[in-house]
Amino acid sequence: MATITCKDFLDRLESWMEGDLHSDSQAHLRNCPHCRSLVEDLKAICGEASNWRADEIEVPPRIWTYLQSHLEQEGLIRESRPAETAKATWFGEWFAALPRPVLAGAYLTLLITGAFTLSRPINRHSNEDLWRADSRDSTMPLRAQLIAEQNSFGSFNNANPAVNASLNQNLAIVDNYIALCEKSVQEEPQNEVARDYLYQAYQQKADLLAQMTERGENNR
Amino acid sequence: MSPSHFVRKQFTWNASRKAAALVVPSLLICGMASATPPPRRQEQHFKVEAHPVVTIHNPNGTITVKAWTKAEVMVISTRASDYVEVDAEQMGNRVDVSTHAAADNVAPDDMRADYQINVPEDAELQIHDDSGEVNVANVLGDMNVETVAAGVDLEDSAGYVTIKTVGGSFQCTRCAGKLEIASISGNLRLTDIHSFHVHAQTSTGNILFSGEFLPNGIYRLKNYSGVIEVRFSPADSFDLSATSLKGKVINEAMLTPKSHQQHFYSRFGNSLFGTFNAGRAKVELTSFDGTINILKRD
Amino acid sequence: MPEAEAIRLAQQGNATAFERLYRLHNRRVYSLCLRMVSNTAEAEDLTQEAFLQLFRKIATFRGESAFSTWLHRLAVNVVLMKLRKKSGTETSLDEMTEPDEESGGPRRDFGTADLRLSGSIDRVNLQRAVEQLPPGYKAVFVLHDVQGYEHNEIAGIMQCSIGNSKSQLHKARMRLRELLHEAVRDKAREDRKAASAESGSED
Repeated sequence: MATITCKDFLDRLESWMEGDLHSDSQAHLRNCPHCRSLVEDLKAICGEASNWRADEIEVPPRIWTYLQSHLEQEGLIRESRPAETAKATWFGEWFAALPRPVLAGAYLTLLITGAFTLSRPINRHSNEDLWRADSRDSTMPLRAQLIAEQNSFGSFNNANPAVNASLNQNLAIVDNYIALCEKSVQEEPQNEVARDYLYQAYQQKADLLAQMTERGENNR
Repeated sequence: MSPSHFVRKQFTWNASRKAAALVVPSLLICGMASATPPPRRQEQHFKVEAHPVVTIHNPNGTITVKAWTKAEVMVISTRASDYVEVDAEQMGNRVDVSTHAAADNVAPDDMRADYQINVPEDAELQIHDDSGEVNVANVLGDMNVETVAAGVDLEDSAGYVTIKTVGGSFQCTRCAGKLEIASISGNLRLTDIHSFHVHAQTSTGNILFSGEFLPNGIYRLKNYSGVIEVRFSPADSFDLSATSLKGKVINEAMLTPKSHQQHFYSRFGNSLFGTFNAGRAKVELTSFDGTINILKRD
Repeated sequence: MPEAEAIRLAQQGNATAFERLYRLHNRRVYSLCLRMVSNTAEAEDLTQEAFLQLFRKIATFRGESAFSTWLHRLAVNVVLMKLRKKSGTETSLDEMTEPDEESGGPRRDFGTADLRLSGSIDRVNLQRAVEQLPPGYKAVFVLHDVQGYEHNEIAGIMQCSIGNSKSQLHKARMRLRELLHEAVRDKAREDRKAASAESGSED
């Protein structure tokens, strides 16, 4: 393994903070108190900053009062009667309000929760039956849950058939990939590579669903 | 009947034939013209300063971006129909180009717009193209390209490049800078690369890497299935870690085995760890059940 | 009312739709403004201005980006323009950062390993340091580390590339570290002065 200097480490520090943990950098940190101090300081700064996120910030009501009066003065308000709201469940409204990364995160959390449930020791015989069946069936409970949630705010409908086909096809690819990774993790629970692939697959699925959601919303 | 009468009649008949020869094709052309409206082509120019940002949002069509020496962004758009509109506006040093439907329920073929855009070479690009093609050449600034089904072709770039596709393939030639590529089923082809940071990941696509392994560079190639192929030259210097859980690892590099690190992964699947020459760069190749080939460059 | 519906109705001038959009996004926008200017009165003004601009321009929103990205871009522009006016110069976003430092590293700070920051980073110190950041660095730091936006969102909001966002964030953090170290050194110097003044008066 090549040893690196402090300058080399500093050149890579930005990637390091983004999670790129090169083994040479790790080795340098073990031996260099100055760079170690630097990294600890940066992590402490990020940590303290993220604590601020939890602050309860009350938005003063007068802001809306001001806006309302200005909207009326400028003639931007042209209809004052209540709008006919679309028939949407509370879940659908909440879902529609979320930006894509939050949607992807929500899907990912669901998938990981499901994965942990599936990874608990269960009767091996019944597990074998599942794997003998179509591999996609192994993700049926999770998929059914995700499809149900997707349906609660409207079906995916994009005007471009090429995009539709690509998204649906790749969703099927990722579903298959998840099934095979889950099987591998169940067979070799200590296999970190298989787990890494499984979580990556969940991430991809969550991201794909979020993309489909966004495109479906934009084309209603 | 006099000869002059005959001549007059002949002349009249010839004139009629000539008139018919002119009128009939004209009628046909007019008919065709009214059946297929001509494409809508528009050209706009925007004066910019150093490091302009250019964003392009296009649901369907070809986007071709090339660098030129002028301090100007030129946008040539060609619309497939009157049902699609193209907007290009400038705010400060940023030019935003977008395509949107001018009516509801526009057919996909009508929703197409193709762009030819020239930018200064230090421009930063943000491109979203769901289907079609994206081609970028000689742009040295950072860029972010996201597509669903559109393929991406990049040549001679030098900035921080992030590419995300669902099914579209990616091809990169003579690229430097930093490359981060993620796809689900697209193939990734990186040739003549001179980059110090390459992260390329696809699930079911193939990855081909042929380029220099720069000292202190990091090269991570990962897929689920398919082939990962890396080509090296005798002068390269890298530390290699190659693992395929269910597939094969085929290696032509004479490696010095690593003996100083614990490799947790080596218990599972087919793995290869070692150092080639002085091990200045780091190469990590991972596949779930695909084949990893580490081959000599011709 | 789903957001997409609220946008459509707001484009027609519906009052309930305007309020719906305000309620959906006011907390995030106000929190962003507050973190950037650290002053509640200014944060209120900036929030009002951001939403006013949003409602004036809502008819031009065509859905090319997420609505929230568009709104937050407006908000960040409003804040940055305010900060620019305060500094008295017209600067581009690129210029609202410090001159590029080659390594971004702790040039002067290598000798200060004994002055660890870990115990000195509290909310007050960090807030003071953030206030001293140039506007461009401050914006990226607040958006990413405080508000939790991802780099692709920040790129859309700040009209820059993802690579630029990552690079600005790294520079912001390094600059904050320098500022915090200066604060620690200043405090240590003051403590020493106070201690020698006390011992001098005892003598």
